[in-house]
Amino acid sequence: MSDGPVASLSEAARTYGGVRVLDDVSLDVEPGVTAVVGPNGSGKSTLLRILVGATEPTAGEVRYPGATGAKPIGYLPQRVPFRDGFTARETLAFYARLVDDDPDAALERVGLGDAGDKRVEALSGGMRRLLGIAQAGLGDPSLAVLDEPASGLDPGMRERAFRAAARRAAGDTAVVVSSHALDLVDAHADRVVILRRGRVAAAGPRDRLLDEHGAADVSELYRAVIGESGASPGETDTGDGTEGDGEREDRDGEGDEDAEPDVHVTGVSDR
Amino acid sequence: MSGRLSGVATVFRRELATVVRTPGYGVLAVGLLVALGGLLAAGGGGATGFVPAVVDLLLPTEALVPLVAVVLGYRALLTDTASGELAVIRTYPVRVGEYVAGVLLARLVALVAAVGVPYAVIGAVVWLTAAPDTGIFATHTGVDSPLLYVRFLAFVLLLGAAYVSLAAAVSALAASRRSAIALGSLALVAGVLGGDLVLLRSLAGGASPTTVPASIALAPNGAFRGLVFEHVIGVAFAPEGGFVSTPRAVASLVGWTLLGAVVAGATLAYGRRVDATVERVRRGIGD
Repeated sequence: MSDGPVASLSEAARTYGGVRVLDDVSLDVEPGVTAVVGPNGSGKSTLLRILVGATEPTAGEVRYPGATGAKPIGYLPQRVPFRDGFTARETLAFYARLVDDDPDAALERVGLGDAGDKRVEALSGGMRRLLGIAQAGLGDPSLAVLDEPASGLDPGMRERAFRAAARRAAGDTAVVVSSHALDLVDAHADRVVILRRGRVAAAGPRDRLLDEHGAADVSELYRAVIGESGASPGETDTGDGTEGDGEREDRDGEGDEDAEPDVHVTGVSDR
Repeated sequence: MSGRLSGVATVFRRELATVVRTPGYGVLAVGLLVALGGLLAAGGGGATGFVPAVVDLLLPTEALVPLVAVVLGYRALLTDTASGELAVIRTYPVRVGEYVAGVLLARLVALVAAVGVPYAVIGAVVWLTAAPDTGIFATHTGVDSPLLYVRFLAFVLLLGAAYVSLAAAVSALAASRRSAIALGSLALVAGVLGGDLVLLRSLAGGASPTTVPASIALAPNGAFRGLVFEHVIGVAFAPEGGFVSTPRAVASLVGWTLLGAVVAGATLAYGRRVDATVERVRRGIGD
């Protein structure tokens, strides 16, 4: 396993409409599973988009010292964006051709081997998400960034999606997931980053953070760092693959909760 | 196949599959065919030969072909941008230029099918049904040939290509489907009427009529019209041309096509950077 980080954010910041949604975030992404958690509007999706280069930071920089290969980064956006009218296999085949990979093997890896001939619009939300995870893994990227891989899924599918994501974190591969599913983060994450109001409230190896905050699991750690008002972030999961607040669509497809930092949902947001 | 060509070809295949699976484009082609057939039947030129048919179709073509081309292109690049799939595609080893080229080439193939086929069918119908009409032939000094119609078809496709490319640029600039429709409509009206209005204004302002052949070629519609007069209609009744400078007109249509592609590529390549810069400025003013 490599010693250095795969990717590195340095004092990254981002504003939308003059409102700061991410502020002074410095972070080294190392091999293994890194989970980014935080209340809605805390900047998770913006952080991930900056990490993959989909959004330009308004300050700071992102570097990829350990991301190599023809396709160094794999990305699953919060809202799986594949075109209707194509089957799951055709969708993956398009991406696979760009990196000389095998779409059928990718489908098998996420358990969608039997769904290859289904059209994207006929797939359930969970299956679409698994298809997105399969896409992100094509070309064997050094860094896989998955925005809410378990969002809106039933318990079995959530576990399956997270396991598929965690399986990618072998060797020198780094997997970054944002999630509200703290039980799954607890089970699979090597490192945890907790965001609050666009800033890093806590970050480091999961076990170290648990020790430092005297927490038994990530849910307790989350409450200790964010406070009781932060509640469980999973409460906002509406079950349809979208978050309960702050969905904003801008021209770059940035349908993320982070674009509206001032949204307040009782019992959910920390504001 | 080299990496770049492979990227273009992969994007092209996907885009072409999307076009083929969109029934609306087939309806568009059928609608164009019906419109052309109706215009020809009403004008009567199709019954007498290719050049009279072209005379009947010339003016409607200047509106219909840009309209079909804009419909084919106005969402070409917006679809992936708006859905967020472009952010995924850009994590793959395919450059923005390759992506734009693949999408644009597929849309141009769609143009050939949606515009070229109806015009070719009309040409075939004229070929099969036209009978000599002494009166009309006297008007046009008796020269008629399928070759003239083939030239007309080539100019039609050049005009369409310019508008597809410009519409693709609009689709890259637009923030939503609604704004793409608004911008596309604006581009259509400006393209179809703008050149002529500017020309009329310059003539009214004292410009010499001798500058018309040069300046008419600057706008896509003017270039198209000039080429049709010069190489199709003019061949039939005027030994000397002079309607338009052919190299300038062809360069104009190719130039508009390239301009659209370049604007589309630059918008996708630098849009995020510009957006971030605007945010920095806004933040700086706010601070």
